[in-house]
Amino acid sequence: MTPRGRGGPLEGVRVVELTKVWAGPYVGKLLGFLGAEVIRVESEGSLDVTRTYGIKDINNAPGFHAVNPEKLSVQIDMKTPRGIELILELVRRSDIVVENLRPGAIKRLGLGYERVKDAKPDIIYVSMGMYGNEGPLSYQTGYAPCFAALGGVSALVGYAGQPPSGMNVRYADSTFGTAAAFAAVVALHHRRRTGVGQFIDVSAVECMSSMIGDTIMEYMLNGTVPGCNGNRHPEMAPHGTYPCRDGEWISIAVNSDAAWQALAGAIEGPSLQADRRFTTLAMRKANEDALDAMIAAWTANRDARELEEDLQRRGIAAAKSQNSIELVADSLLWERGFFREVHDASGRSRNIVGPSWRMTREAAIERAAPRLGEHNEYVLGEILGLSAEERRRLSESGITR
Amino acid sequence: MTALSNVKVLELSERVTGEYCGKLLSDFGAEVIKIERPGVGSPTRRLGPIKSGVAPGEGSGLFAYLNNNKHSVELDLTAQHTREMLERLLDRVDVVIDDHLPHELEQMGMNLEALAAKRPRLIACTITPYGQSAPQARRHAEDLNVFHASGWGYHTPSAADERLPPLKAAGRFLVSYEAALDAALCIVAALYDRESSGLGRFIDVAQQAVMASRVDYVLGQMVAGDMDVTPERTAFDLGGPAGIFRCRDGYAYIWMSAPTHWQGLRQLLGDPEWMKDFPEHWLELECTPERVALCRKHIAEWLSTQEKEKASEAAQKLGVTLVAVNDKRDLLSCPQYAFRGFFTEIEHPVLGALRYPTVPYRMSETPARIAAPAPTLGQNTRTYLDLDRDDAASAVGRGERR
Repeated sequence: MTPRGRGGPLEGVRVVELTKVWAGPYVGKLLGFLGAEVIRVESEGSLDVTRTYGIKDINNAPGFHAVNPEKLSVQIDMKTPRGIELILELVRRSDIVVENLRPGAIKRLGLGYERVKDAKPDIIYVSMGMYGNEGPLSYQTGYAPCFAALGGVSALVGYAGQPPSGMNVRYADSTFGTAAAFAAVVALHHRRRTGVGQFIDVSAVECMSSMIGDTIMEYMLNGTVPGCNGNRHPEMAPHGTYPCRDGEWISIAVNSDAAWQALAGAIEGPSLQADRRFTTLAMRKANEDALDAMIAAWTANRDARELEEDLQRRGIAAAKSQNSIELVADSLLWERGFFREVHDASGRSRNIVGPSWRMTREAAIERAAPRLGEHNEYVLGEILGLSAEERRRLSESGITR
Repeated sequence: MTALSNVKVLELSERVTGEYCGKLLSDFGAEVIKIERPGVGSPTRRLGPIKSGVAPGEGSGLFAYLNNNKHSVELDLTAQHTREMLERLLDRVDVVIDDHLPHELEQMGMNLEALAAKRPRLIACTITPYGQSAPQARRHAEDLNVFHASGWGYHTPSAADERLPPLKAAGRFLVSYEAALDAALCIVAALYDRESSGLGRFIDVAQQAVMASRVDYVLGQMVAGDMDVTPERTAFDLGGPAGIFRCRDGYAYIWMSAPTHWQGLRQLLGDPEWMKDFPEHWLELECTPERVALCRKHIAEWLSTQEKEKASEAAQKLGVTLVAVNDKRDLLSCPQYAFRGFFTEIEHPVLGALRYPTVPYRMSETPARIAAPAPTLGQNTRTYLDLDRDDAASAVGRGERR
């Protein structure tokens, strides 16, 4: 089946993914959401763990489904010379290659940049590694929380006086993927103007440091390395999460003296509004423990959602700390098409996490993640132009299935 | 040649998210014209870190970081008679970036979508907490609130103590930076398309959706009905013995999920007695809370006697994913960062010579480049408004304001 044009700014761009797990596949997901045709080359002998983790049916793996909607899948055995030839043939007809295999693995397969560039001189080749492609520490490996720890992110999250706790364990892969996707499209734009492709070497750890650039500047400018401070913020007070009824929490960020006046009005009225401990940011910072204790006492018996609405009406930046039930039920996210329904090849529907953006003339996003090798015929037949006979021989010899 | 050197960007942004988006483009040579409030400039000029004893508005390390390479034009967008100048600037640029809240733009009497609609080639991108269609109940938000509306907050940290409040993200602006990445991606994709179609786009990036999309691996399974959706603060977690441990000189993070990690750890620790009671595949198949606690206890004891860098080096060589929990000092002395040139020194007229973080992507043909320090307020007003000094002062609205 020939995939149809889906529109979107990257319509006509073909991406070959030699990726595993989350960060690499996230690149293809974003590019696919922008209209690119994204082909995951999968090898039956070394399947992505997200196809097999905790499930027997590799075509119905929840984790794989979550990160690979709208992609195509071709199954090619990468351990065979003929398989590698086929992949290079595909690359000749593609614009971008993304890889995030372990350090050195892609070269050992025979699909390193030099080899791919020989096959397709203007290719945009995106290589993703924890520390990047080369350098004294590039041999080291790790998973997402390692990126966050090394990049300086984890040290900044935690309770005052306690060891750092770090962000949630899931943080880092998708950020890494987004930075790589951005760089790839920058290169694509450059190639359209000049005809020149390039090698892009993305470091997960540096992606993390980019998410705290301003705190690095703080060290450069003032030499300070403060530890974790819970939810405190140097330029806002109160700034934190406060307990509500039934174990719920509300986040409140008072970003001006006027917002404080509004909050003080809600809590108590004129007497608190006039309380000299809290009228300016400097005063609130100086008395922040008392301030936080007072607010926590006030919020403790309230309904978080009602409180959120009340504070919003008063012009105060507040939001309930949403649990996963509320997140999945968030009507705004459904209205934006962030959550949306797609269909797999057999017509079954499935809800997915869509793009964060809306745009004019956006790409259609309608298909679920592919079955293993679902698009072999399209990739081998239509893109590579192999005859039915050749395809049959490849399949019988086990190179493609 | 840089990748975006043919691109002109007008930046109306006054928050970190829009300014960082502009920075992501100017890193690649885009000419970014930053509109600033006459006399006072962008609000980010007054956010820390601030160098003391310098002219107000010129000492912010944050502003300097976000606005390298950019051009500053003072123009009062709230004044009616400057609207024509804005229109002329819009005629001359390829991209406009804005991060005002929808109701703030309304108060300024601006409708970006309408301004963009008159210019079919223009790419207009807005970055707001909840998108352009945000309901009344979500008008006001800072990064903290978006972090908590997106699901990240409630689930941070992992293995939460339910009695303690859920936390904010690292630093002050992680949410802003994340959203800027998506916005910059969309903008450059739209630029790419415009080369052939000749058509611009209106792009509406919602920070809440950006953050929620960053946990798609979990959230996608939840919304598809493949994973339990619960009010537990641990609903995003993985379990297992992974975590941050104290060392002699700081902290280290260890990840363990596979038998190879377990085998590597055994070698690293010299085959200690306590490991002999664990089944070889316990991490995958028999990961009980008792085993996790016991394993964590022994790792904690061992790491408390180790130095983070040395332990990590030894561990990595045995396939154990143990890494240092770096602080800012560690980043500055990291040999890998030095090798890749992640920091670059820039001479700023007020802040002096400082090292700045650059970008996480090394590009063989079009490396990112900081060519000039952040502009002083109004440094480029005359160039872009094409006026002599006296006219410029009144036209931008300074006269009215003072």
